[in-house]
Amino acid sequence: MAQFLLRRLLGMFAVLFVVSLITFLLMHAIPGGPFSREKPLPEATIALLNEKYNLDAPIHIQYLDYVGDIIIPRVTYGRIPPSASEDYLINISLPAFMGDEAVLRWVNFGPTYGSRSRSVNDIFRESLPVSFQLGVAAMAVAMAVGIPLGTMAALKRNTIFDYAGMGVAVFGVSLPVIITAPVLQYLFGVQWKALPPTGWGEIRHMILPAFALGFVNSALIARLTRASLLQVMNEDYIRTARAKGLSERMVVIGHAVKNGIIPVVTILGPLFAVLVTGSFVVETFFGIPGMGRYFVTSIRGRDYPVIMGTILLFAAFISIANTIVDIVYAWLDPRIRYD
Amino acid sequence: MAVAEKQSFGSVVRIEHPVRGESLWMDSWRRLRRNKAALLGAFIILINILVAIFADSLAPKPFDRQVLADNNAAPLWVTQVFPTMIPRGETGGYITISEDYPLGADGLGRDLLSRIIYGSRVSLLVALVGPTFALALGLLVGLTAGYAGGWIDNLLMRIVDLMYAFPTLLLIILLMAFFRLGFENLQPGTFGYTINQIDRASGGLLFVFIGIGVTSWMNMARLVRGQVLSIREKEYIEAARSLGTSTGGIMFRHILPNILGPVIVAETLAIPQYISFEAFLSFIGLGVNPPTPSWGGMIAEGARGISSYPNQAIFPAIALFLIMFAFNFLGDGLRDALDPRMRGVD
Amino acid sequence: MKVRRVTGLLLLLVLAFAVMGGTALAQDSGASIVTGLNMVGGDVPSIDPTVSETSMSIDIVNQIFVGLTAQDVTTAETIPGIATDWTVETTDEGAVYTFNLRNDIPWVRYNAETDAVEQILDEDGNPLMVTAHDVVYGFLRGLDPETAAPYSYVPIPYIVGAAEFNAGEADASEVMVTAVDDWTVQIVAPEETAFAPAIYGLWAVRPVLQSVVEEGGDRWTEPEYIATNGPFALKEWAHDESITIVANPFWPGTDGIPKPSLAEVTYRFLDPAQQIIEFEAGNLDASMIPVEEIVRVQNDPVLSTQYVTGANPCTYYIGFDNTEAPTDNVHLRRALSFAIDRQSIVDNVTRGGQTPAQWFAYPGLNASPTLETHPDLGVKYDPDLAQEELALALEELGLASASELQLTITYNDSSGHAAIMQAIQQMWADTLGVQAELTAADPTTYFASLSEEYPMIARAGWCQDYSDANNFLYDVFFSQSSQNDPGFANEEYDALVTQARTEPDTDVRRELYAQAEEIFVVEQAAIAPIYWYSTNQLVRTGVEYAPSITGNEAYYLWSVSE
Repeated sequence: MAQFLLRRLLGMFAVLFVVSLITFLLMHAIPGGPFSREKPLPEATIALLNEKYNLDAPIHIQYLDYVGDIIIPRVTYGRIPPSASEDYLINISLPAFMGDEAVLRWVNFGPTYGSRSRSVNDIFRESLPVSFQLGVAAMAVAMAVGIPLGTMAALKRNTIFDYAGMGVAVFGVSLPVIITAPVLQYLFGVQWKALPPTGWGEIRHMILPAFALGFVNSALIARLTRASLLQVMNEDYIRTARAKGLSERMVVIGHAVKNGIIPVVTILGPLFAVLVTGSFVVETFFGIPGMGRYFVTSIRGRDYPVIMGTILLFAAFISIANTIVDIVYAWLDPRIRYD
Repeated sequence: MAVAEKQSFGSVVRIEHPVRGESLWMDSWRRLRRNKAALLGAFIILINILVAIFADSLAPKPFDRQVLADNNAAPLWVTQVFPTMIPRGETGGYITISEDYPLGADGLGRDLLSRIIYGSRVSLLVALVGPTFALALGLLVGLTAGYAGGWIDNLLMRIVDLMYAFPTLLLIILLMAFFRLGFENLQPGTFGYTINQIDRASGGLLFVFIGIGVTSWMNMARLVRGQVLSIREKEYIEAARSLGTSTGGIMFRHILPNILGPVIVAETLAIPQYISFEAFLSFIGLGVNPPTPSWGGMIAEGARGISSYPNQAIFPAIALFLIMFAFNFLGDGLRDALDPRMRGVD
Repeated sequence: MKVRRVTGLLLLLVLAFAVMGGTALAQDSGASIVTGLNMVGGDVPSIDPTVSETSMSIDIVNQIFVGLTAQDVTTAETIPGIATDWTVETTDEGAVYTFNLRNDIPWVRYNAETDAVEQILDEDGNPLMVTAHDVVYGFLRGLDPETAAPYSYVPIPYIVGAAEFNAGEADASEVMVTAVDDWTVQIVAPEETAFAPAIYGLWAVRPVLQSVVEEGGDRWTEPEYIATNGPFALKEWAHDESITIVANPFWPGTDGIPKPSLAEVTYRFLDPAQQIIEFEAGNLDASMIPVEEIVRVQNDPVLSTQYVTGANPCTYYIGFDNTEAPTDNVHLRRALSFAIDRQSIVDNVTRGGQTPAQWFAYPGLNASPTLETHPDLGVKYDPDLAQEELALALEELGLASASELQLTITYNDSSGHAAIMQAIQQMWADTLGVQAELTAADPTTYFASLSEEYPMIARAGWCQDYSDANNFLYDVFFSQSSQNDPGFANEEYDALVTQARTEPDTDVRRELYAQAEEIFVVEQAAIAPIYWYSTNQLVRTGVEYAPSITGNEAYYLWSVSE
């Protein structure tokens, strides 16, 4: 297990390295820079801004500087004025003998060009928890609806329950959030005045977006659960379990679900990574100050450090989620071995 | 329990009569034909394909014909279905009533029905391209990784992780900037010019396809791998192996049929995600080139005015919903038909 | 400021204390309102006046920072800000502008612990007032190459020594902005212009408090550091979500900028579609109206009584590449421009009370021709003339028929632009038989292409930085201007706009600009103006808003009447 985890950790760093390289090259290859404006800034101003943000250095130096700022810790002395370019996630005060107000600082994802006063770390600190909460809520909705629905449909196969359940599922998955979001807002916010259409901070703000985001995915989970359960229901060991006289309930919960859930778990990993890093559409429609919007706005605005930060964050989440999924595989099905 | 035993016994008997290679598929086909829901699904999809092909003769109007004065007009029945759409003349009325448009007109006075009919082209293409990429790449990578295991598995799965995080949007914007905006500098005969012409001929779909191609196959690869991992140690695989069956034979004759269920279901479910992706690209302005209609684009556009003109989003959404239902019923039917353990159960 | 239809500043008012109802609102200082900011995603880029560049930033900056001069939003005139008055005299060095400052405006900051706006005190415990030295610091900070302020290029030509300082060739002491004493500022301009006082009030050169800027570093605009001098003070900045400003009790009130009646204004960052939903849900007091909802609002018995329109000094146009074939052909450009039915676009596509544009410089600007003074100036829809011009163009281009023309229209993606471009595409096909392809690009790619490789035909817009026709005709399309992307160059035009720039008499200037427009949009048809902007809002009954013709809001003029 330890060896497995170590290998996966190394794999994750390899993935992060390649992703960062690809992203860095792609984003510098697209036309336009962070200071391209409809009303063009004078070249002299752009030159000054490029200098300010180190964008006039050769591209490989920029990349090395970027990586260096993230992975190489540094020690500062005395008060440094609050800065968007020098903002570290980890700040550890060192004992006095190491210098006057010496602080060990580590992990700086750089400033955002979209705002003069903020850093990418600020965005992580403030927006990621928001997206995370929403993502977990949406995930809960998706699983709470999807797995029972799928199980029921599989057990009552070809009955009205099956058709109704799957009808709901198809309905959910067919409607893009682009339409469910405004419809929900209109019905619950304007027509019935039951829930706030936009905003964030209270539970009631979370209901509509969590539902909009979760419902689509619950359909996916329900359908996949049904198909996988049907697949295993005819397996020998299920028949054996039945033959042993176990109740249908025990058979389903104890054996079928556990084994049939593997395809579902496969989907859940990446889905979780997607949900907790935020959804552009849902956050835009519901006015939620989450990370999801930055995935799109940073690219549109050529906000290089934010592009890098969001993509790397997502890559890390994906790697971790898939590692967990692989561990869960082995737990669900002892025949699976990684060696 | 006895019934189940007998049925599976029955299927073993049956398998010995027809020619071995054909039996699996013939048998499946026979079972599929009996599944009414699946047939209905197939029928709807067929209709849809015909509509897409013969859109020119079916659509009452050209999809790009604007009558600006008729912007957002609707026939009377639509205003009755959506009571918030109040016809002009009544208190608060703002809908121009025109029976020229069976489902209403959009913001530029274009016939919604015609645009939905033409839009089926884009949506069907998207619905075909996504699964093609997903099955081709996803199956290959997933089978290889799951069956080979070890460092090959590890490497392939890290590539999958990488592709999940791949900045697709950056790639699409880069390609669009290069092949669309730089067009004036491209010479006929060059690669760039050819790409640009393909993009134009497809109504600006090429880059949507590329985006779908890049993003579509990873879930499939992981799903297949997960299934293979759990199946490859089973008795019948062991048995086949000990009988000296080749790796390819084991994969395609023994493993593939056993994992097709979730594969098909996952893929039929993924189709709306591809269409949503197209809608999302339209939503952020990177979708098909106007005036080419697509359901995703129409939904994205219509959703902006959902309080005033719900018909403009709801009707394309119904079209999308119908085709989705069809794909899912057909998918279910296929799953049941192809499940080797279901053979003879009918 | 920039034209950003999608992310322009929006307005909505949330009645934050709606629950408290009449009691709170009845009190003089109790009216807390919330106003929104049109943000599709993300945060307000900055509320640091010196580096602000988007209309969202500037709308907030205008409430909390006041410069030497300000713009009256109801008349668009330049009014005193922290200066009481100013004089100008021409000397050997240039035109010397002398501003006399008020001595009763303190720097303030909101204190969350006491829930009150407090004056910032110096070491002796005396309040820090906004002095001439703060004004000079604000100017120098805006011009400093270290700051790299995006809008520095607007004031630079109007301050002797600024260009050299900004280019790093001269010291800050060379910049001719000086504090004569604590309450007097002198600025030397190369020449006298009617609009220089307006430029000296631009956000990029507004006073800021040096000690606070240095202490707070990049984060000095956060509530715990910031020092402001306007009618409102910053209370809270919930990044990506909202900004709340509160009335500044220490603002003395001037003729144009009175003490605010509202106690509090909250801007929520929502795009127009979300704003109107919140308005209809009863959570906002004012809202932008997306184009899809406008007709319903105009006809709804309740909403129509809350519907207000205003002017917005921006011009929507399409630009032609004046330097490359086929749009370097003047007859083709004229044909394309005459073939656009602007009235139909305004009536059927934008639907928000915009005005068909006959020329480029927005009519409400100082010295700009207006439809009253020049009803027949400029370009109007004329299909016959368009066809004649097309025939001439085809002849010169050596083409047999219009179908051989391959045109491309490029625009930055947004549903609004897409609709207008599609309408124009069809008008050209119908009137001229010319086929044009549409190419949408993501905004940044598009903006980069404008300055690097101007598209054949491109969507564009221009909004005022300061209210004068010079900001449109000279700043953008003078042949040497850095903003002149389409590559228009005409000696006669250059001479007219150069002359108009320093001409003191407004009526004479207006005539000069009218002549320039005739060359620009009719004879040469360098661009095709489409429409002049308007603003459309919903304002809740009981909220008295100040009708704005500048595209910006002044919440210090708003009140709640209930």
